[in-house]
Amino acid sequence: MNNTSCEQNRMLMDIGIIDFTLVELTLYLDTHPHDKQAMEYFNHYARIKHQMVKDFSARYYPLTKDASTETREWKWALAPMPWENAANPVMEGGCK
Amino acid sequence: MQDYNFDEHFDRFPVAMAYVPWQHLSQIYENLETAYRTGTIFPELDKPFVGRRVVR
Amino acid sequence: MWSYEKRLQFPVNIKEPNAKLAQVIMSQYGGPDGELAASQRYLSQRYATPYREVAGILTDIGTEELAHMEMVSAIVYQLTKDLSMEEIEASGFDKYYVDHTVGLWPQAAGGVPFNACVFQSKGDVITDLFEDMAADVIPL
Repeated sequence: MNNTSCEQNRMLMDIGIIDFTLVELTLYLDTHPHDKQAMEYFNHYARIKHQMVKDFSARYYPLTKDASTETREWKWALAPMPWENAANPVMEGGCK
Repeated sequence: MQDYNFDEHFDRFPVAMAYVPWQHLSQIYENLETAYRTGTIFPELDKPFVGRRVVR
Repeated sequence: MWSYEKRLQFPVNIKEPNAKLAQVIMSQYGGPDGELAASQRYLSQRYATPYREVAGILTDIGTEELAHMEMVSAIVYQLTKDLSMEEIEASGFDKYYVDHTVGLWPQAAGGVPFNACVFQSKGDVITDLFEDMAADVIPL
């Protein structure tokens, strides 16, 4: 069951969007390492993503192992796995 | 790697080899959510599959 | 070395299980041109290139394919969740089910198990690139 909040869905969706942007810029920069404009885009979105993952992890569950350090229990093990509905933002028809 | 200008030097390329034109960044899609759903942030790489050949 | 993010690259929310569809989509996981083959293709071929940029992009593309594999796996997993025995038999999924139940196992839609012979790694970057095009760029 997907009992995630509207806010959680939105944040996860936004992380997906920004990370996809970074994936695309990475592949471009791999063969165009001196492209200043692409580099600026990358730096801009990398900063945003870093903050988003930090915020999401503090609020809901750690998306990376690194984001699990400030807790007294190992939340990494308790987080939903990516194939569960709980870890997938509902995209159509708004959210619950 | 060298950044070849594909159009300019095309006739100087050896025959019987395959070449891929170089991508030059112009802009990325403004709406990144649309880009995410489309599958690319680069307008020049947005080539929907229509069964046999690409469009645009 | 790799690191992991606990999320899919693109969300997967299947509402209705569909064992018939799962058997077809499974090929994109474990078939000859599926994501498992794609990831191993790029991650094996990357050692042979003399160009650091090319080795770098093959690494990043190979990593991408692992993320794609996880999405396709999630689709198959969700499509085969909570199936009744009647649905399993009626959809022809019984032939898979007898060996794997609903466990994920890489095979092509035709039932051929995943095999490294579906991709090449020849120690020459141009030769490998042509093989990549056959496997990954068929729409072009």
